Amino acid sequence: MIRLGTVGKTRNLALVEDSPLRRVDPRAKLALSLCASLAVMLSLEKLAAFMGIYVMLLLWARLFPEAARQVWRLKWVLIVLFAVDWIFVSLDLAVVITLRLILLAGVFALFFSTTTPAELRLALEWLHVSYRYAFSLSLAFQSVGLLDDEWRAIREAQRARGAWSLPTGWRDLVARVRDLVALSVPAVVMTTKRAWSMTEAAYARGFDSPRRQPFRHLAMSRLDWLLLAGTLTVAALLLLWR
Amino acid sequence: MSLVWVQQVAYRYPQNNHGLASLSLSIEPGERLLVTGPSGCGKSTLARCLTGLIPHLYHGMLEGEVWLDSLRTVDTPLWQLAERAGLVFQNPAAQMLAHSVEEEILFGLENLGLPHDIIVQRLEATLTRFGLQAMRHRSPQTLSGGEQQKLALAAITARQPPVLVLDEPLSMLDGTAATELVAHLAAITDAGGAVVICEHREEYLQTLPGLHTLRLDVPTPPEAQAPTLHLHPVEAKAQRLEVKGLTVSLAGRTIHRDLDFSLDAGQIVAIVGRNGVGKTTLLRALAGLQKHEGSVRMNGSQPDLGLVFQNADLQLFNASVREEILFRVPDPDMELYDWLLEVLGLARYEDAPPLLLSEGEKKRVALATVLMRQPHHGILLDEPSLGQDAAHKAQLISVARALADAGQLVILTTHDLPLAAQADRLLLLGPQGFVADGSPTEVLRDGTAWDSLGLSVPEWVHAPGVQL
Repeated sequence: MIRLGTVGKTRNLALVEDSPLRRVDPRAKLALSLCASLAVMLSLEKLAAFMGIYVMLLLWARLFPEAARQVWRLKWVLIVLFAVDWIFVSLDLAVVITLRLILLAGVFALFFSTTTPAELRLALEWLHVSYRYAFSLSLAFQSVGLLDDEWRAIREAQRARGAWSLPTGWRDLVARVRDLVALSVPAVVMTTKRAWSMTEAAYARGFDSPRRQPFRHLAMSRLDWLLLAGTLTVAALLLLWR
Repeated sequence: MSLVWVQQVAYRYPQNNHGLASLSLSIEPGERLLVTGPSGCGKSTLARCLTGLIPHLYHGMLEGEVWLDSLRTVDTPLWQLAERAGLVFQNPAAQMLAHSVEEEILFGLENLGLPHDIIVQRLEATLTRFGLQAMRHRSPQTLSGGEQQKLALAAITARQPPVLVLDEPLSMLDGTAATELVAHLAAITDAGGAVVICEHREEYLQTLPGLHTLRLDVPTPPEAQAPTLHLHPVEAKAQRLEVKGLTVSLAGRTIHRDLDFSLDAGQIVAIVGRNGVGKTTLLRALAGLQKHEGSVRMNGSQPDLGLVFQNADLQLFNASVREEILFRVPDPDMELYDWLLEVLGLARYEDAPPLLLSEGEKKRVALATVLMRQPHHGILLDEPSLGQDAAHKAQLISVARALADAGQLVILTTHDLPLAAQADRLLLLGPQGFVADGSPTEVLRDGTAWDSLGLSVPEWVHAPGVQL
């Protein structure tokens, strides 16, 4: 018996409905995203050149704001990594590592902002991932969007009972670490309970039935084939260019 | 043979002694059975036994046998049992599995292995029957509590199981959503299905014709009568909470606009309104947890009001009830501590981990943690009666009354009208602000105000001779 889902309430990540990629087959998008990820292998000059093309792709796909949002979320990680690499290794390495992370954050937006959990599940099934695991993964993906909401709710609830307070300076650091217990235990409990509730709900609706017949099927359109061909060409060029 | 046949079934969860005491019953096609009883009597456990989740997903100690449509649950795969008995759980948000309303219904239909055209027929019929067509592409998480509960019921009934089991389906619903749900249940049984409803809130179900009732008992002895605590009056009763121009927006949507009201300390105030109208948001603003425009003042200063959340899991994390209640309370008043344990029925759980208690018990622990801090001006209770039986609701009211008598302000939000009727003042909240304000008797009988919000009031409110 497996547990379904891992986090939070089920909710969509924000889908960019007006993106041309929204209507593209998830398998083609998966290939596109993997291909874009290959660029992390490039050297600094080539990576910088690729980033130009990549930004144009994001602009065409109307995903630039979403990709920028993903990068903004990583700002502290990027700043710390950049500073550490620059101080301890070199500026070149700091720039290349930062660009690679920015690229990967954008790739995340490329796929997950244009794909529903059901489409992800179909793509995974096509890749011969068993239905129960594909379903669990799609449920986890669907649930990610509520992590922030749940974490905030826990902080508020603990503040209301005086078990957590807003930080007021570095001297509070030890107290804040202690407060983490008050925050992390409810987070783990809620996640586990939610996963269990989803498991029960799925089995109560016949999950794991050998009779299951999928209602929707994936079908590649001409645009999908074109995108896939272009993607594979770029992937080949990237490998050669390297 | 009966549709459901339960022979001497008893169950005990592995992590504690809770569960279901031995019982036998049978259910025939078209039967409407209400299973009721105090917290911890085993209503949810029975629901899980009837649908086969026990013993397939739970591995405690099961005695006796459950037969579902001639299949013994212990020997039959869960997916086969799910075709014969559908279970709608208490919390609708936690049972949503898909990213759209349509996909939510399709999930269960796919698992039946039906041909494509039959799935389309059933999907469309279900969307029409439950009035969900307009929201078929919306995310279930964007629906109100009532709409989510309707969707949960739709997703199960689309599979057409002969037996439908509902675990506290009304607990989170406003009057209108509860009335609609009961009408759907009546239609299902009229079509020959059997319905089993495990529920505390009986007031809306009494309108179901031919309803049989099964009352379960708690296997443990009831709490002794709690002693009386004379709380020290903390402030003069002239204290008043003044709210002026309160405007709250969430995710770009204005929830409250220019709310003006004042509440006297020393009172229990109940706030009632439809699902999603912003009752919880209002409490969060009063507690200072929600950004807002306008002012919230208690005699000119920032009020100190403790907030007890709807979901107790957000607030509990310690290893025992004692540690939980006394956590970071400087110089705790142990007389108050003892009184809280007694009056909230927690004395026997003092050393137990709070997270292993029932939902109702956890809510009472969360209440005790907030009260132990002795907030200066009062407390805010968000849906305090969720998961509480009649006896514990009475305990809750006695605590609220003691606080009010000591000069504190107690504000509670609820869908539970019998609970609201015990307040000193009742406010009816609509999308444009309060539409009625007065004593519970006045407000509950103000049909125009309730109609203006599309809310229904149960029949008992209007029954002759009823003393509210």
